[in-house]
Amino acid sequence: MKPTAVLLVLLLAPLAAAQTPPDHTPVDLAHVESIAGPPRAPRLTGAALEAEAKHIAAVLRCPVCQGLSVGDSPSAMATNMRQQIRELVAAGFDEDQILSYFEASYGEFVRLQPPLRGVNWLVWIAPGLGLLLGLGVVSWVLRGASTETPEAVAAAELPVEIVPDPLPDDPARAKAVLRVRELAYGWPGGLRPGKA
Amino acid sequence: MNRKVLVAGLVVTLPLVGLMLMSLGRDSHKVESPLLGRQAPPFSLRPIGGGAPVTLESLRGKTVVVNFWATWCVPCVDEHPVLTAAPQRYGSDVVFLGVVYEDEEPNVQSFLREHGAAYPSLVDEGGKVSIAYGIYGVPETYFIAPDGTIVSKYVGPLRPDLLDGFVQEAQARAGTRRSDAR
Repeated sequence: MKPTAVLLVLLLAPLAAAQTPPDHTPVDLAHVESIAGPPRAPRLTGAALEAEAKHIAAVLRCPVCQGLSVGDSPSAMATNMRQQIRELVAAGFDEDQILSYFEASYGEFVRLQPPLRGVNWLVWIAPGLGLLLGLGVVSWVLRGASTETPEAVAAAELPVEIVPDPLPDDPARAKAVLRVRELAYGWPGGLRPGKA
Repeated sequence: MNRKVLVAGLVVTLPLVGLMLMSLGRDSHKVESPLLGRQAPPFSLRPIGGGAPVTLESLRGKTVVVNFWATWCVPCVDEHPVLTAAPQRYGSDVVFLGVVYEDEEPNVQSFLREHGAAYPSLVDEGGKVSIAYGIYGVPETYFIAPDGTIVSKYVGPLRPDLLDGFVQEAQARAGTRRSDAR
Protein backbone atom coordinates (compact mmCIF):
# COMPACT_ATOMS: atom_id res chain seq x y z
CA MET A 1 0.00 0.00 0.00
CA LYS A 2 1.31 3.42 -0.89
CA PRO A 3 2.28 5.72 2.01
CA THR A 4 -0.37 8.28 1.01
CA ALA A 5 -3.10 5.63 1.07
CA VAL A 6 -1.94 4.43 4.49
CA LEU A 7 -2.01 8.00 5.74
CA LEU A 8 -5.53 8.49 4.35
CA VAL A 9 -6.79 5.33 6.05
CA LEU A 10 -5.25 6.40 9.34
CA LEU A 11 -6.83 9.83 9.05
CA LEU A 12 -10.30 8.58 8.11
CA ALA A 13 -10.46 5.71 10.62
CA PRO A 14 -11.45 7.89 13.61
CA LEU A 15 -14.17 9.54 11.51
CA ALA A 16 -15.68 6.17 10.57
CA ALA A 17 -15.51 5.05 14.19
CA ALA A 18 -17.30 8.20 15.31
CA GLN A 19 -20.14 7.62 12.84
CA THR A 20 -20.70 4.00 13.80
CA PRO A 21 -21.09 3.36 17.53
CA PRO A 22 -18.89 0.50 18.72
CA ASP A 23 -21.85 -1.51 20.08
CA HIS A 24 -24.04 -0.92 17.05
CA THR A 25 -25.82 -3.79 15.35
CA PRO A 26 -27.02 -3.27 11.79
CA VAL A 27 -30.65 -2.61 10.96
CA ASP A 28 -32.72 -5.67 10.03
CA LEU A 29 -32.76 -5.26 6.24
CA ALA A 30 -35.14 -8.19 5.77
CA HIS A 31 -37.66 -6.45 8.02
CA VAL A 32 -37.24 -3.20 6.08
CA GLU A 33 -37.74 -5.10 2.81
CA SER A 34 -40.93 -6.66 4.18
CA ILE A 35 -42.29 -3.14 4.63
CA ALA A 36 -40.77 -1.12 1.80
CA GLY A 37 -39.93 -3.76 -0.80
CA PRO A 38 -36.51 -4.59 -2.24
CA PRO A 39 -33.94 -1.81 -2.62
CA ARG A 40 -34.47 0.13 -5.85
CA ALA A 41 -31.79 2.83 -5.72
CA PRO A 42 -28.06 2.60 -6.35
CA ARG A 43 -25.97 1.78 -3.28
CA LEU A 44 -24.32 5.02 -2.28
CA THR A 45 -21.05 5.52 -0.50
CA GLY A 46 -18.90 8.40 0.75
CA ALA A 47 -20.05 11.96 0.21
CA ALA A 48 -23.07 10.93 -1.92
CA LEU A 49 -24.30 8.67 0.89
CA GLU A 50 -23.84 11.40 3.50
CA ALA A 51 -25.66 13.97 1.34
CA GLU A 52 -28.63 11.67 0.70
CA ALA A 53 -28.80 10.61 4.38
CA LYS A 54 -28.70 14.26 5.43
CA HIS A 55 -31.50 15.10 3.00
CA ILE A 56 -33.72 12.28 4.31
CA ALA A 57 -32.96 13.13 7.96
CA ALA A 58 -34.13 16.68 7.25
CA VAL A 59 -37.64 15.53 6.22
CA LEU A 60 -38.06 13.03 9.05
CA ARG A 61 -39.47 14.16 12.39
CA CYS A 62 -37.58 13.30 15.56
CA PRO A 63 -40.27 11.39 17.54
CA VAL A 64 -38.97 12.42 20.97
CA CYS A 65 -38.47 16.12 20.17
CA GLN A 66 -40.77 19.11 19.79
CA GLY A 67 -40.89 19.93 16.08
CA LEU A 68 -37.27 19.06 15.28
CA SER A 69 -36.13 16.98 12.35
CA VAL A 70 -33.95 13.92 12.84
CA GLY A 71 -31.20 15.89 11.14
CA ASP A 72 -31.42 18.78 13.60
CA SER A 73 -31.97 16.91 16.85
CA PRO A 74 -29.08 16.07 19.19
CA SER A 75 -31.12 13.34 20.97
CA ALA A 76 -29.95 9.74 21.17
CA MET A 77 -33.06 8.61 19.32
CA ALA A 78 -32.31 10.95 16.40
CA THR A 79 -28.67 9.81 16.38
CA ASN A 80 -29.84 6.20 16.11
CA MET A 81 -32.29 7.10 13.36
CA ARG A 82 -29.58 8.94 11.40
CA GLN A 83 -27.40 5.82 11.66
CA GLN A 84 -30.25 3.67 10.36
CA ILE A 85 -30.86 6.07 7.49
CA ARG A 86 -27.17 5.83 6.51
CA GLU A 87 -27.35 2.03 6.56
CA LEU A 88 -30.51 1.97 4.48
CA VAL A 89 -29.13 4.42 1.91
CA ALA A 90 -25.94 2.34 1.73
CA ALA A 91 -28.09 -0.77 1.18
CA GLY A 92 -29.82 0.85 -1.80
CA PHE A 93 -33.17 1.93 -0.35
CA ASP A 94 -34.50 5.19 -1.80
CA GLU A 95 -36.01 8.12 0.10
CA ASP A 96 -39.61 6.98 -0.30
CA GLN A 97 -38.78 3.48 0.94
CA ILE A 98 -36.89 4.79 3.95
CA LEU A 99 -39.70 7.16 4.89
CA SER A 100 -42.20 4.30 4.50
CA TYR A 101 -40.11 2.16 6.85
CA PHE A 102 -40.16 4.77 9.61
CA GLU A 103 -43.81 5.54 8.89
CA ALA A 104 -44.67 1.88 9.52
CA SER A 105 -43.43 2.33 13.10
CA TYR A 106 -44.48 5.88 13.91
CA GLY A 107 -47.27 6.65 11.47
CA GLU A 108 -47.50 9.58 9.10
CA PHE A 109 -46.60 11.85 12.03
CA VAL A 110 -42.95 11.01 11.43
CA ARG A 111 -42.95 12.81 8.07
CA LEU A 112 -42.30 16.52 8.41
CA GLN A 113 -43.90 17.03 4.99
CA PRO A 114 -47.20 15.13 4.89
CA PRO A 115 -47.68 13.36 1.53
CA LEU A 116 -50.38 14.62 -0.82
CA ARG A 117 -53.04 12.01 -0.13
CA GLY A 118 -56.40 11.78 1.64
CA VAL A 119 -57.19 14.61 4.02
CA ASN A 120 -53.58 15.81 3.79
CA TRP A 121 -54.66 17.79 0.73
CA LEU A 122 -56.40 20.10 3.19
CA VAL A 123 -53.05 21.00 4.78
CA TRP A 124 -51.74 22.14 1.42
CA ILE A 125 -54.82 23.88 0.05
CA ALA A 126 -56.32 25.28 3.28
CA PRO A 127 -54.01 28.34 3.42
CA GLY A 128 -54.89 29.27 -0.19
CA LEU A 129 -58.57 28.62 0.43
CA GLY A 130 -58.45 30.73 3.59
CA LEU A 131 -56.82 33.58 1.71
CA LEU A 132 -59.40 33.40 -1.08
CA LEU A 133 -62.21 33.25 1.47
CA GLY A 134 -60.81 36.27 3.29
CA LEU A 135 -60.49 38.25 0.06
CA GLY A 136 -64.05 37.28 -0.85
CA VAL A 137 -65.40 38.45 2.50
CA VAL A 138 -63.51 41.75 2.27
CA SER A 139 -64.68 42.45 -1.30
CA TRP A 140 -68.25 41.50 -0.35
CA VAL A 141 -68.23 43.92 2.57
CA LEU A 142 -66.62 46.69 0.50
CA ARG A 143 -69.04 46.18 -2.40
CA GLY A 144 -71.98 46.27 0.02
CA ALA A 145 -70.72 49.57 1.46
CA SER A 146 -70.28 51.17 -1.98
CA THR A 147 -73.83 50.26 -3.12
CA GLU A 148 -75.50 52.09 -0.24
CA THR A 149 -77.39 55.26 -1.29
CA PRO A 150 -76.03 58.66 -0.21
CA GLU A 151 -79.21 59.22 1.81
CA ALA A 152 -78.70 55.97 3.67
CA VAL A 153 -75.09 56.84 4.36
CA ALA A 154 -76.08 60.33 5.54
CA ALA A 155 -78.82 58.89 7.77
CA ALA A 156 -76.34 56.43 9.24
CA GLU A 157 -73.89 59.20 9.96
CA LEU A 158 -76.44 61.55 11.65
CA PRO A 159 -76.25 61.74 15.42
CA VAL A 160 -78.93 59.63 16.96
CA GLU A 161 -81.66 61.52 18.79
CA ILE A 162 -81.52 59.86 22.14
CA VAL A 163 -84.52 61.31 23.94
CA PRO A 164 -87.58 63.21 22.75
CA ASP A 165 -87.10 65.83 25.48
CA PRO A 166 -89.16 64.14 28.17
CA LEU A 167 -90.26 66.04 31.22
CA PRO A 168 -90.94 64.84 34.77
CA ASP A 169 -94.57 64.43 35.76
CA ASP A 170 -94.09 66.72 38.74
CA PRO A 171 -94.94 70.28 37.42
CA ALA A 172 -92.39 71.93 39.69
CA ARG A 173 -89.58 69.66 38.55
CA ALA A 174 -90.71 69.94 34.92
CA LYS A 175 -90.52 73.70 35.20
CA ALA A 176 -87.00 73.44 36.64
CA VAL A 177 -85.90 71.15 33.78
CA LEU A 178 -87.26 73.57 31.20
CA ARG A 179 -85.38 76.40 32.89
CA VAL A 180 -82.15 74.40 32.82
CA ARG A 181 -82.61 73.61 29.12
CA GLU A 182 -83.24 77.28 28.38
CA LEU A 183 -80.05 78.24 30.19
CA ALA A 184 -77.99 75.38 28.86
CA TYR A 185 -79.11 75.24 25.22
CA GLY A 186 -80.61 78.67 24.75
CA TRP A 187 -83.96 77.16 23.83
CA PRO A 188 -86.75 79.77 24.37
CA GLY A 189 -88.89 78.59 27.29
CA GLY A 190 -86.76 75.42 27.49
CA LEU A 191 -88.40 73.91 24.39
CA ARG A 192 -86.43 72.62 21.39
CA PRO A 193 -86.78 75.10 18.48
CA GLY A 194 -89.35 73.94 15.97
CA LYS A 195 -90.91 71.57 18.44
CA ALA A 196 -92.96 73.96 20.50
CA MET B 1 -73.19 46.63 7.54
CA ASN B 2 -73.07 45.28 11.13
CA ARG B 3 -74.81 42.10 10.01
CA LYS B 4 -72.26 41.57 7.27
CA VAL B 5 -69.40 42.00 9.72
CA LEU B 6 -71.09 39.50 12.03
CA VAL B 7 -71.48 36.94 9.23
CA ALA B 8 -67.87 37.40 8.12
CA GLY B 9 -66.67 37.00 11.69
CA LEU B 10 -68.70 33.82 12.13
CA VAL B 11 -67.35 32.39 8.87
CA VAL B 12 -63.81 32.86 10.16
CA THR B 13 -64.28 31.90 13.80
CA LEU B 14 -66.80 29.03 13.68
CA PRO B 15 -64.43 26.55 11.98
CA LEU B 16 -61.72 27.42 14.51
CA VAL B 17 -64.12 26.97 17.42
CA GLY B 18 -65.23 23.64 15.89
CA LEU B 19 -61.60 22.46 15.73
CA MET B 20 -61.04 23.48 19.35
CA LEU B 21 -64.17 21.63 20.49
CA MET B 22 -63.09 18.51 18.58
CA SER B 23 -59.73 18.61 20.39
CA LEU B 24 -61.24 18.92 23.86
CA GLY B 25 -60.48 15.92 26.03
CA ARG B 26 -57.87 14.53 23.65
CA ASP B 27 -54.31 13.91 24.82
CA SER B 28 -52.16 15.99 22.46
CA HIS B 29 -49.21 13.64 23.07
CA LYS B 30 -51.16 10.55 22.18
CA VAL B 31 -50.44 9.14 18.73
CA GLU B 32 -52.13 5.90 17.72
CA SER B 33 -49.57 3.22 16.90
CA PRO B 34 -49.77 2.03 13.30
CA LEU B 35 -48.41 -1.32 14.47
CA LEU B 36 -51.63 -2.40 16.20
CA GLY B 37 -53.21 -5.32 14.38
CA ARG B 38 -49.98 -6.01 12.46
CA GLN B 39 -47.22 -8.55 12.88
CA ALA B 40 -44.77 -7.51 15.57
CA PRO B 41 -41.37 -6.44 14.19
CA PRO B 42 -38.97 -9.35 14.66
CA PHE B 43 -35.95 -9.04 16.91
CA SER B 44 -33.03 -11.02 18.23
CA LEU B 45 -31.45 -9.34 21.25
CA ARG B 46 -28.96 -10.50 23.81
CA PRO B 47 -30.00 -10.41 27.47
CA ILE B 48 -28.36 -8.13 30.00
CA GLY B 49 -25.57 -10.03 31.69
CA GLY B 50 -25.00 -12.35 28.75
CA GLY B 51 -26.58 -15.51 27.41
CA ALA B 52 -28.11 -16.64 24.15
CA PRO B 53 -30.01 -14.02 22.14
CA VAL B 54 -33.77 -13.99 22.62
CA THR B 55 -35.74 -13.98 19.38
CA LEU B 56 -39.40 -13.07 19.10
CA GLU B 57 -39.82 -15.76 16.47
CA SER B 58 -38.92 -18.44 19.02
CA LEU B 59 -41.83 -17.33 21.22
CA ARG B 60 -44.53 -17.92 18.59
CA GLY B 61 -47.49 -19.68 20.20
CA LYS B 62 -47.16 -17.74 23.43
CA THR B 63 -48.54 -14.40 24.50
CA VAL B 64 -45.60 -11.98 24.71
CA VAL B 65 -45.44 -8.80 26.79
CA VAL B 66 -42.62 -6.50 25.68
CA ASN B 67 -41.88 -3.70 28.11
CA PHE B 68 -39.57 -0.88 27.00
CA TRP B 69 -37.94 0.68 30.05
CA ALA B 70 -34.91 2.41 31.54
CA THR B 71 -33.44 2.81 35.00
CA TRP B 72 -33.54 6.63 34.73
CA CYS B 73 -37.32 6.54 34.15
CA VAL B 74 -39.24 7.04 37.41
CA PRO B 75 -42.55 5.53 36.16
CA CYS B 76 -40.56 2.46 35.03
CA VAL B 77 -39.25 2.04 38.56
CA ASP B 78 -42.82 2.40 39.85
CA GLU B 79 -44.17 -0.34 37.59
CA HIS B 80 -41.21 -2.69 38.10
CA PRO B 81 -42.81 -4.59 41.05
CA VAL B 82 -45.98 -5.13 39.01
CA LEU B 83 -44.04 -6.64 36.11
CA THR B 84 -41.70 -8.62 38.35
CA ALA B 85 -44.66 -10.30 40.05
CA ALA B 86 -46.46 -11.00 36.77
CA PRO B 87 -44.65 -14.07 35.33
CA GLN B 88 -45.43 -16.15 38.39
CA ARG B 89 -49.10 -15.19 38.15
CA TYR B 90 -49.56 -16.01 34.47
CA GLY B 91 -47.40 -19.10 34.12
CA SER B 92 -45.46 -20.23 31.09
CA ASP B 93 -48.08 -19.27 28.47
CA VAL B 94 -47.23 -15.61 28.87
CA VAL B 95 -43.65 -14.51 28.29
CA PHE B 96 -42.41 -11.19 29.65
CA LEU B 97 -39.46 -9.39 28.10
CA GLY B 98 -37.86 -6.07 28.96
CA VAL B 99 -36.12 -4.02 26.28
CA VAL B 100 -33.73 -1.47 27.73
CA TYR B 101 -34.16 1.95 26.17
CA GLU B 102 -31.23 4.37 26.04
CA ASP B 103 -29.49 3.18 29.18
CA GLU B 104 -26.10 1.84 30.24
CA GLU B 105 -25.74 -1.88 30.84
CA PRO B 106 -23.97 -1.51 34.22
CA ASN B 107 -26.80 0.72 35.46
CA VAL B 108 -29.36 -1.88 34.42
CA GLN B 109 -27.43 -4.72 36.04
CA SER B 110 -27.12 -2.78 39.26
CA PHE B 111 -30.84 -1.89 39.21
CA LEU B 112 -31.90 -5.49 38.61
CA ARG B 113 -29.62 -6.75 41.38
CA GLU B 114 -31.25 -4.30 43.76
CA HIS B 115 -34.89 -4.57 42.66
CA GLY B 116 -35.01 -8.12 41.34
CA ALA B 117 -35.59 -9.58 37.89
CA ALA B 118 -38.21 -12.15 36.97
CA TYR B 119 -37.64 -12.15 33.19
CA PRO B 120 -34.89 -11.21 30.72
CA SER B 121 -34.10 -7.60 29.99
CA LEU B 122 -32.62 -7.24 26.52
CA VAL B 123 -29.98 -4.89 25.16
CA ASP B 124 -31.22 -2.79 22.23
CA GLU B 125 -27.98 -1.66 20.64
CA GLY B 126 -28.43 1.40 18.49
CA GLY B 127 -32.11 1.63 19.46
CA LYS B 128 -32.93 -0.61 16.49
CA VAL B 129 -35.88 -2.39 18.11
CA SER B 130 -37.15 0.74 19.87
CA ILE B 131 -37.38 2.48 16.50
CA ALA B 132 -39.00 -0.55 14.83
CA TYR B 133 -41.66 -0.52 17.58
CA GLY B 134 -42.22 3.23 17.29
CA ILE B 135 -41.19 4.06 20.84
CA TYR B 136 -41.59 7.70 21.93
CA GLY B 137 -40.47 7.29 25.52
CA VAL B 138 -40.61 4.88 28.42
CA PRO B 139 -42.38 3.00 29.78
CA GLU B 140 -44.26 1.65 26.79
CA THR B 141 -45.57 -1.90 26.68
CA TYR B 142 -46.67 -3.99 23.73
CA PHE B 143 -48.94 -7.03 24.04
CA ILE B 144 -48.36 -9.60 21.32
CA ALA B 145 -50.82 -12.40 20.62
CA PRO B 146 -49.66 -16.02 20.17
CA ASP B 147 -49.83 -15.59 16.37
CA GLY B 148 -47.35 -12.68 16.51
CA THR B 149 -49.91 -9.91 16.05
CA ILE B 150 -49.64 -6.78 18.15
CA VAL B 151 -52.95 -6.57 19.99
CA SER B 152 -52.44 -3.52 22.17
CA LYS B 153 -49.96 -0.93 23.34
CA TYR B 154 -49.92 0.85 26.67
CA VAL B 155 -48.05 4.07 27.34
CA GLY B 156 -47.23 4.68 31.00
CA PRO B 157 -46.74 2.60 34.13
CA LEU B 158 -48.87 -0.54 34.27
CA ARG B 159 -51.07 -1.47 37.21
CA PRO B 160 -52.00 -5.10 37.96
CA ASP B 161 -55.61 -4.63 36.79
CA LEU B 162 -54.51 -3.03 33.51
CA LEU B 163 -51.96 -5.75 32.94
CA ASP B 164 -54.59 -8.44 33.52
CA GLY B 165 -56.91 -6.83 31.00
CA PHE B 166 -54.29 -6.49 28.28
CA VAL B 167 -52.91 -10.02 28.77
CA GLN B 168 -56.39 -11.52 28.67
CA GLU B 169 -57.14 -9.56 25.51
CA ALA B 170 -53.94 -10.76 23.85
CA GLN B 171 -54.66 -14.34 24.88
CA ALA B 172 -58.24 -14.16 23.68
CA ARG B 173 -57.80 -12.66 20.26
CA ALA B 174 -55.29 -11.51 17.74
CA GLY B 175 -55.31 -8.55 15.42
CA THR B 176 -57.84 -6.38 17.18
CA ARG B 177 -56.84 -2.74 17.38
CA ARG B 178 -56.69 -1.11 20.80
CA SER B 179 -54.58 1.67 22.23
CA ASP B 180 -54.51 3.30 25.63
CA ALA B 181 -52.50 6.16 27.01
CA ARG B 182 -51.66 7.64 30.36
